[in-house]
Amino acid sequence: MECFSLLRSDVPALINHLGDFGEVIAPHGKGDVSYSFEVVKDNSEVVLDYNRTLLPLKKMFLPPVEKLMDFSLKEVTYEKVDVAITPRVFFAVHSYEMQSILRLDHSMLSGSAESNYFKRRQSSRFVGISFKPDEFHFSDSVGIAIEDMEGFDLFLNEVDGDFQLYVITDHGQTLIDGFDRKELTTPEIVDGREFKKKIRYHYNRLPRVFQYAYHSDVWADVASQCVGCGACNLTCPTCFCFDVQDEVTVTAEDGMRQRNWDSCMLSTFAEVAGGENFREKTVNRTRHRLYRKFKYITDEEGLPWCVGCGRCTAFCPAGISLPDIVNELIQEDEKAQYHRTVRV
Amino acid sequence: MKRLEDVKHHETEDLYYPTMCKVTGAKQITEMEKWYEIEMPNGQTLGHNPGQFVEVSAFGIGEAPISISSSPSKGSKFELCIRQVGTLTNVLKNYEAGDMIGIRGPFGKGFPMEKLFGKDILVVAGGIGLVPLRSLINYVLDNRKDFGRLIILYGAKTPSELLFRDELEEWKNRDDVELHVTVDQADETWEGNTGVITTLIPSLDLKLNTTIAAITGPPIMYKFVVMSLKSKQLPDDQIYLSLERRMKCGVGKCGHCQINGVYCCQDGPVFNYVDIKPLEEAL
Repeated sequence: MECFSLLRSDVPALINHLGDFGEVIAPHGKGDVSYSFEVVKDNSEVVLDYNRTLLPLKKMFLPPVEKLMDFSLKEVTYEKVDVAITPRVFFAVHSYEMQSILRLDHSMLSGSAESNYFKRRQSSRFVGISFKPDEFHFSDSVGIAIEDMEGFDLFLNEVDGDFQLYVITDHGQTLIDGFDRKELTTPEIVDGREFKKKIRYHYNRLPRVFQYAYHSDVWADVASQCVGCGACNLTCPTCFCFDVQDEVTVTAEDGMRQRNWDSCMLSTFAEVAGGENFREKTVNRTRHRLYRKFKYITDEEGLPWCVGCGRCTAFCPAGISLPDIVNELIQEDEKAQYHRTVRV
Repeated sequence: MKRLEDVKHHETEDLYYPTMCKVTGAKQITEMEKWYEIEMPNGQTLGHNPGQFVEVSAFGIGEAPISISSSPSKGSKFELCIRQVGTLTNVLKNYEAGDMIGIRGPFGKGFPMEKLFGKDILVVAGGIGLVPLRSLINYVLDNRKDFGRLIILYGAKTPSELLFRDELEEWKNRDDVELHVTVDQADETWEGNTGVITTLIPSLDLKLNTTIAAITGPPIMYKFVVMSLKSKQLPDDQIYLSLERRMKCGVGKCGHCQINGVYCCQDGPVFNYVDIKPLEEAL
């Protein structure tokens, strides 16, 4: 793997160069405290130091609202919406975000492989960037280092204000071919990027904790704080559940079918016609969300489906912390183990 | 873990587009339920197994999962029977022969017919649960010599809610079908059994080593029927249940139908009881 030094002041030129491949999408400031992945129009607006975007990168692969078809009520016919294959470079992406895309790949492409997702995904390139963890990041607790380069084509590691540019894949090599404001250098290990938030156990011990946590009192505690808004699902980079809805135009002659992000924390998520609700109580929905992140898929794939971005915690209006829930379950499990041992 | 590079373009699918089919027959058979016969375009067949479902779509309203009610042996047409309980199904109420309807599927796992051959089949249908089980019943009747006894237990709330009355009459008159019908609340015309469906189970004479039970009904029914069958000593792995969930996409993506970690639309809706026993959300 080649490693080049790159001055911070040369980053705008790099963004311009990446534009030769296709649309460049990068973090932008939004309001005073928020960030968002947007198409770069003016490279001076790209933000390199950010904690996290409000919406994860999944919005570029599974749009929050996606038109699936146009239909005619009069003719009772429909037309498919073709997803164009557009070359895109995602710039200044954090490692947990990249890992979330790799997990979404599994979710959308295993079993029935979804064509829309595939088309958006196959023509994408990724340029990573290191970050300084804030009080919400805990990705090293789920096995994702700040410098984890899996999935990236290029990676920018910040060293003393400037960058080391790693060329990871052949795609990455193609992306920087012809960009000459860089000099070969030796990779350096950067110290001092400590995570402030941690899950107390290594992630490979968590499925066992969850195996015994189903009837824990912790779920009722969390449910009593939860307002059921679903923000945790919508901001989660690995949540992919959706609903499909029809919209009719004012003439009532035609309309469109679209899919929208949905949220398993909303009270009607598992409700069927006739009123039966298979996950009626908040406590059941709270548990379901966490089991989706640490047990159900994890049992099959060996990886937590949480990437430690901290969004669900940072954006929860009720202040519910996902790592705190996991740590409480761990603590409870330790107590139960202690009692089992004492009884023997 | 499935990775992007493992997938070829031709292996991907446009998952959410219905096939437009023609309604060739429609009849309101009770106050709440309407029967439909549907024909696929260009001589296609649906190719389903008993117990599978389709996503039915009406533009401007949406889609809903509906059990297939006819036997695969019926040929190029298939049948649905739909209770009018939601937005979509109340619109479908107005559909008549000649109307076009969107169909995706068939989806999910139906009854494992290869395991049912040669066995006595005990059908336990509660209310609208008869709709998917009718597919199984008619498949058994169309291939009668491949199966042992066919015992049908069917319970409805009232006599007026009984579905497929012509067929019930036909099944009643056949020597090779043991039909037991009960209603929760009788009216003055009713001369049959009264009581919930589990009241039909204790007096059954079952050959335990060769009987397969197939159960479909309202959510509340399953535990009681399973308890009754267990008290008859029927082994757990000889019990199959078809579960209702909000199977919105049918292809294991949208998340609505999950029972713990299992997608009902993929691993079900027909489950072996042994497989759902570890799932706390199942029954």
